[in-house]
Amino acid sequence: MESTSLAEQERVVASDWGGGKSPFGTSWSKFMMWIFIISDALTFAGFLIAYGFMRRIAPAWPVQMEVFSPLLITFMTFVLISSSAVMAMAVSAARAGDPKSAVKFLGLTIVGGAIFLGCQAYEWSHFIREGATLTKNPWGVPQFSAAFFVITGFHGFHVFSGLTILTIVALRATMGKYSGDSVENAGLYWHFVDVVWVFVFAFFYLL
Amino acid sequence: MESHGHAHGYRQYFTTWLWLLGMTLLALVVGYFHFLGEGVKAFALVTITLAKIFLIGSIFMHLKAERVNLVMLTFTPLLLSIILFFFTFGETLKNETHQIQNQSPTFHLPTGEVKEH
Repeated sequence: MESTSLAEQERVVASDWGGGKSPFGTSWSKFMMWIFIISDALTFAGFLIAYGFMRRIAPAWPVQMEVFSPLLITFMTFVLISSSAVMAMAVSAARAGDPKSAVKFLGLTIVGGAIFLGCQAYEWSHFIREGATLTKNPWGVPQFSAAFFVITGFHGFHVFSGLTILTIVALRATMGKYSGDSVENAGLYWHFVDVVWVFVFAFFYLL
Repeated sequence: MESHGHAHGYRQYFTTWLWLLGMTLLALVVGYFHFLGEGVKAFALVTITLAKIFLIGSIFMHLKAERVNLVMLTFTPLLLSIILFFFTFGETLKNETHQIQNQSPTFHLPTGEVKEH
């Protein structure tokens, strides 16, 4: 940080809060995406906190790693983290004015998301075949399957929405209609989906 | 960001990815093998998770390059929700009246067999 004079600092602060430009130094669309992500994060925080309470007051809790396949869960985490990294590269490429690489990386991100959704569909159908529903399951702890379906279901729906957004952004980019901001906003959402999964992975599957 | 050239960016994303994978494996080891006490295990998982979130937020989501205003805006509500959680979570530890009582002793599988637990 280079030192600036007091007058210069005052001028910068005045221009920021005077309504001329965003005090957050972002475009309006990126700022709105952040506001959305924060509110969405609080929704998931609500789910995970409710899960924490339910689990604490339930007389017993199944051993998750015996119910679900640790290999599948790890693979899903690997895929989502990788797609997030590739997404960051897509943003980088779009910002650098390289739509060809941006589309390539977006494509890889979409493939990662689709694989993740496929694994989740497999996991859900397996779980349902074992007799789990929203209100009961063979392990005798109704809260267990309720938490599973609500949390992973909501997350899975976010992955699906993310895939839709990414597909639209990628298609527009192939037509030459793209901006660094549009790719970055889609990217922010995608990373957020990854962040939620990191929490779900640790607190629902491992804890 | 552009001033760094994007090859530099890719390398940073790649190292971040490696770190994230490493921490995922660490979390898996901590979670899957029961060699830690319940409290230590929870603490380790929370720490690893927060470290991963920090990496994703600062590097993938570029918060490192954003203004402090935006960074504060993103983290304050989450910190508050965590504080609120711990304010009330203690309630569940000693209060028997909060126990859920709707466990059924047997369960009928879709195949028709009855499972006891």
